[in-house]
Amino acid sequence: MPEVVARNRSTLMRPRSISVDLRPSAVSEPLSLCPPCLRGTLLALVASLLAITGCSLSTAPPFELNREGRDPAGIPAEQVTAVQQSLQKLFGTPDSPALPAGVTLDWNLLKAAAGPIRGEADGRQWGLYRRHCAGCHGISGDGAGPAAVVLAPYPRDYRNGVFKYTSTAPGAKPVRTDLVRTIQHGIPGTAMPSFRRLPTEEQAAVVEYVQYLSLRGETELQLLQAIVDEEADLQDVDEIARESVLRAAKAWQNAQTSLPVDGATTAESDAALKKSVERGQRLFVSPAVPCARCHGLAGNGRGEQSELYDDWNKRKLGATPEQTRQLAGRFKLPIEQLHPRDFTKGLFHGGDRPEEQYLRIYNGIKGTPMPAFGQSPGNPGVLTPQQIRDLVQYVRSLGPVGRL
Amino acid sequence: MSFPLTRRHFLTQSVAAVAAAAAMPTFANGADNKPQWGDLHGRIVYDGPPPERKKLKVDKDVEFCGKFDIRDESLMVGPQHGLANVFIYLRSRRAPICPELEKSLPKDVLLDNRDAIFQPHCLHLWIARQQLLIVNSDPIAQNVAIAPLGDVPANIVLNPKRGENVETRWKFERRQTAPVKISCNYHPWETGYVLPLDHPYCDISKFDGSFSIPKMPVGTWQFQAWHERVEFLDTPAWPKGRFTYEIKPGVNDLGMIKLPPASFRNGP
Repeated sequence: MPEVVARNRSTLMRPRSISVDLRPSAVSEPLSLCPPCLRGTLLALVASLLAITGCSLSTAPPFELNREGRDPAGIPAEQVTAVQQSLQKLFGTPDSPALPAGVTLDWNLLKAAAGPIRGEADGRQWGLYRRHCAGCHGISGDGAGPAAVVLAPYPRDYRNGVFKYTSTAPGAKPVRTDLVRTIQHGIPGTAMPSFRRLPTEEQAAVVEYVQYLSLRGETELQLLQAIVDEEADLQDVDEIARESVLRAAKAWQNAQTSLPVDGATTAESDAALKKSVERGQRLFVSPAVPCARCHGLAGNGRGEQSELYDDWNKRKLGATPEQTRQLAGRFKLPIEQLHPRDFTKGLFHGGDRPEEQYLRIYNGIKGTPMPAFGQSPGNPGVLTPQQIRDLVQYVRSLGPVGRL
Repeated sequence: MSFPLTRRHFLTQSVAAVAAAAAMPTFANGADNKPQWGDLHGRIVYDGPPPERKKLKVDKDVEFCGKFDIRDESLMVGPQHGLANVFIYLRSRRAPICPELEKSLPKDVLLDNRDAIFQPHCLHLWIARQQLLIVNSDPIAQNVAIAPLGDVPANIVLNPKRGENVETRWKFERRQTAPVKISCNYHPWETGYVLPLDHPYCDISKFDGSFSIPKMPVGTWQFQAWHERVEFLDTPAWPKGRFTYEIKPGVNDLGMIKLPPASFRNGP
């Protein structure tokens, strides 16, 4: 099956290079960047996928066990049962979720997002995750919903607890406002649209459910490591699961916005801005600072770095091409290369405000090759805050607005 | 994070206590009444012609990196057929740890970016006592990316050697059951593996295939063998790469362990 998907993908993927801006500002002219000949095809494809997902997601199967990357025949049935039952005790099912002790998510918000899609006469909506998210992100948050295979980049797989665009320190979990921001603004240049038009409480409910799926996914991975890899006593499965939940929950609770982002948004005079852009350009092309290595000397994303993968896809790489083929076949989605941002398009996945771009350089982009250039625990900080501000100004100057 | 004492913790701690207690009579019988520990030795041999290590595509920072003969490190066999980079580590939980090791082990375990590869290719550390000292000895910027399960991922940039900020320390918070890949996003041919453990009982075989785990508590313990080509090193004698061995005071020699090339043909 994965081989079939991989073959289809090579032909299906070509439209993936088209940038589709689904931000609210672009809603009035959706898919405006598509060539007309492809627009109809793409819309028909999305419509048919939504039709499929709409039918299949009204009632959900149980959460599917995360076997990705593992030998399909390698997990004994009793271990599968033990892990699934333990997870169900802690987290319930897609239709009837539960909250483990020690997890401080809002139960009412969670309930509104979970379960089958339905609405009430007074306008209240239920099953929000399945209505708005599961078609791409999947029932279990594996990023492999029915529409995922034709999207580039793939939808986020929440199960390892890593989210790319956050205001938190390198390696830290996002804070709630980071996830709300992604829901409200979408991710420009990807298929993730803005949900700003949803009522605030519905946005909050979806954010709550994403955290729930992420905690569940992290617990599942740690439980599989203990039960399958280490062959821990099956009698201990519930205890190991509880420890894993608490460990993951603590990381979420400890997350905090890390930077004051001082000066990143300071209004500068035209002359000061010009000098900042010039300094940023010198840094950008300097061999000592590796920006151009991935993003290219022209900032068009065509650096010498041709084989980049994010952490979700690095797991599909083996030591040899044959091993990669074998390993990648154990995942739902074919292996996908990462493309560094092309700054000349002016589309920034993590947001187009200067302070957001400052954060991307200072803290890096989690789960991707974009490292942290600012100073933080474990990261020596190879750029000063002023140098990062200069780079932000230079990168912004490359886009359509900056060129005017 | 602390957890209440549960059946599992009680059992694992009891195992340690029983093991220590079982060891005590041996300790007490020592001539100078001091505890005794055993060293585990062995040699892993690739039982076939050493495979050719293919030259890797080096197409980044070519002016510097192109000077080196950079070859595949995923299956390295020495001239005497010794198989390098096999992790052999204690799998059993909560074994007593020799106090001498607590004092003598260096706090830093060096991961050097040198000559456009990670040196050494494989490392292990004891998370309670040791941290990774990541250094850049090359005149080009380097990157070190590690994503351990349930722990904080690292994605670090280091300046070229001549500048400042050419080194950093990284602390792991959680033990892993198998080595974790280290990669450099700038130079895709650079890979390495690190194994964070909650004990010091691990060694990585050298080019002659030899390994040595010193000062193990006497008793019967289970060990794990892992190699990057196949992960858990499954052999008829070591199902899933595991073997049980009784450590006695003094030297314990596992002898020569021969692995046929077929063991490495398929992936994990």
